[in-house]
Amino acid sequence: MRSKGIVVLLVLGFVPAAIGVGDSNLPSARGQQKASPRARPQPARYACPMHPEVTSKKHGNCPKCGMALRLVEDSAKASAAPPIEIAVNEAGDSFAFSSSRIPDLKVYDQNGNQLSFYRDLIKNKTVAINFIFTTCTTICPPLTATFRRVQQDLQKASLNVQLISVSVDPSTDTPERLRDFAARFKAGPGWTFVTGDQTEIESLLQALGVAVANRNDHTPMILVGNDVTGYWTRTYGLSPPTTLLKVITEAAHHK
Amino acid sequence: MGPAFSAGLGRSGLTLAPGQSSPASRERRGKQIYVQGTSASGKEIFAYLGESSLEVPGSTMPCANCHGLDGLGKPEGGVNPTNLTWEALTKPYGVTHASGRRHPPYTERGLELAITRGTDPAGNTLLNVMPRYSMSNEDLADLVAYLRLLGKDRDPGISENKLVIGAICPTKGSLAEMGQAVKAVTTAYFEELNSQGGIYNRQVEMKFIDTGDTPAATRVKLERFIKEEQVFALTAAFIAGAEKEIVPLLGQQEVPLIGPLTLYPQIDLPLNRQVFYLLSGVDGQARAMIHFAVLKPELRTQHFAVVLPQSEVNLEVLGAIADQLRKDGLSAAKAFDYAAGHFDAAEIIGRLRQSSPDVVVFLGAGEDARTFLAEADKSRWYPTVFLAGGSGGREIFDAPIGFNGKLFFSFPTAPADQSAAGLKEFHALAEKYKLPARHLAAQISALSAAKILGEGLKRVGKDLSREKLIQVLEGLYEYPTGLTPAITYGPNRRIGALGAYIVNVDLKEKQFVPASGWINLN
Repeated sequence: MRSKGIVVLLVLGFVPAAIGVGDSNLPSARGQQKASPRARPQPARYACPMHPEVTSKKHGNCPKCGMALRLVEDSAKASAAPPIEIAVNEAGDSFAFSSSRIPDLKVYDQNGNQLSFYRDLIKNKTVAINFIFTTCTTICPPLTATFRRVQQDLQKASLNVQLISVSVDPSTDTPERLRDFAARFKAGPGWTFVTGDQTEIESLLQALGVAVANRNDHTPMILVGNDVTGYWTRTYGLSPPTTLLKVITEAAHHK
Repeated sequence: MGPAFSAGLGRSGLTLAPGQSSPASRERRGKQIYVQGTSASGKEIFAYLGESSLEVPGSTMPCANCHGLDGLGKPEGGVNPTNLTWEALTKPYGVTHASGRRHPPYTERGLELAITRGTDPAGNTLLNVMPRYSMSNEDLADLVAYLRLLGKDRDPGISENKLVIGAICPTKGSLAEMGQAVKAVTTAYFEELNSQGGIYNRQVEMKFIDTGDTPAATRVKLERFIKEEQVFALTAAFIAGAEKEIVPLLGQQEVPLIGPLTLYPQIDLPLNRQVFYLLSGVDGQARAMIHFAVLKPELRTQHFAVVLPQSEVNLEVLGAIADQLRKDGLSAAKAFDYAAGHFDAAEIIGRLRQSSPDVVVFLGAGEDARTFLAEADKSRWYPTVFLAGGSGGREIFDAPIGFNGKLFFSFPTAPADQSAAGLKEFHALAEKYKLPARHLAAQISALSAAKILGEGLKRVGKDLSREKLIQVLEGLYEYPTGLTPAITYGPNRRIGALGAYIVNVDLKEKQFVPASGWINLN
């Protein structure tokens, strides 16, 4: 898969096209994830001088502006928050994601407890992650109400799934504010609302592929994954709860 | 189609049955449904998402959430809510949406179907993010009546060339003189503003009411005042002692209040968005004291004790102290409470000394504080004492000399915050409008509140609404009133100058000595 045509991109600006109900991984992408250990040495990296988010492991031209990519000296910072890589083949875009992309950043839950995002919320679990902010009024209430229904249905089906709502506006969304928001939608145990320092949350959103410049543009996407098998997929968060339930159940039962 | 969606069925037209109320109150009720998702009748309103039976209370997803108070729609995450202004909905040649969806103009009946069944006049199904609502036929008619008005109605108190602002100022009792001073300076500020042309050609009209004999009576008076006088916003209101009555009322009535005079701001979540405080109250000042004590190694503070009269507001202060101790990495403080008006200093000191605290935070009245210090002096016990919230005047200089250097006060503002320009403006007003020479601190507070309100109104512009005022004030950053520390508000922040100064009491020279710079709590 990682041949000539592969361009490694930040997902920024790329997600909307990739969203689809029940959108799932390419099998080959999945196989590749299994082979990738969590911490691996960074090979040579080339980046566009104008678009630093555009990087590649080979020489080539930037798909945005056509400039030749330049070799980047990998700093400690760059390896600490590796850009999420999207494999793009000639046929178009697809979704490749793995647990190894999820940084173990320091975050806070709605009760003010400090958590390690990967270790405490993702590791060895089936998870569904949506993205909200408490002052968002158009899509966040339906997103959250839908998540609440999904949580009830998962309980009925005795499926143990960790629900996560990450705030895309951490400077406003304090743990107290998230707790109030969670209570308004009657969020039950097993549903964690996540906020943190602006920089930490920003790199988390980058890594999860949902970073946007304007928070009102944040996508109603739900990231669904099974950390045990390394299966990840995305779905449209405003789909009916039954659709979401189906996608999450598939992830939970993935072998 | 479940029974939940049946509200729109079987209705014909919008004729008023005998005994039904007038259109004006019908539209007012409709606005409540549009903005809050609740019915004035108390009947339940539910929202249903998509084709599913996902039912939530209407208040979770009122129309205004997505379509906006102005009806123009608030696009988010690829969802573009329809423009609901009547002109847009009823274009004679029909409506074509950005998505390509087309339909003939809406009628009232068509809107009822859109709200209850999620279909447009062409029979297209609306996006599943648009909930289907169930509500009584009366509520539905009220809502549709309001939609005719949406985007054209103004908040109370606004007309083309006038804006009504209110204030609560006592005219009787011990606070009467202070109330009159506040009234005078507020009137002077807005008269001066009016003489310069007003705000976007609107002359500000000030209306005042007196406080009631009890907090409950003040609430009743204020509720009537808001309704009868149609005030747009309030400034510099005396709400001290009646915080629990007044603040929730302003939330319900959605009346902004800038700079209330109180030591006990109500800033717990869920935040009351309407009320903007100027300075830290006792809770914020106590936080600043704790933070100060922790930062000062020579105080060797590990063990805090808090002495407080029993009251609801003091429990909030105690909560703030516990929270600040946690933030500063210290263990919780021991609390010693007493019934207000029944302070037994010897008994409290006996209990206090058993836990041997390094620092005592004293929240009681100034009189109780003096009794406390005298009693401690008898047993030659001189802990560091923090007196929060201005609990004493110059009498504190008569405290036992053993406490020299051990007493600390908090002040939410200091004379150094007053700039030359700020003082010049105040003195010019005082001279021109013959302001009283007394209660200068209250006058400066009231003037600062009026300046913040004036600034907010100017920043909103001609197209004024309460919601826009709140949003603009939430964006205020380091606004210099010239009379207080710079004022900053935010979506979570309702204290303009969040912090305090700590001063030490020099009992020999009988003066306050600054012990800290501005302690910023943000």
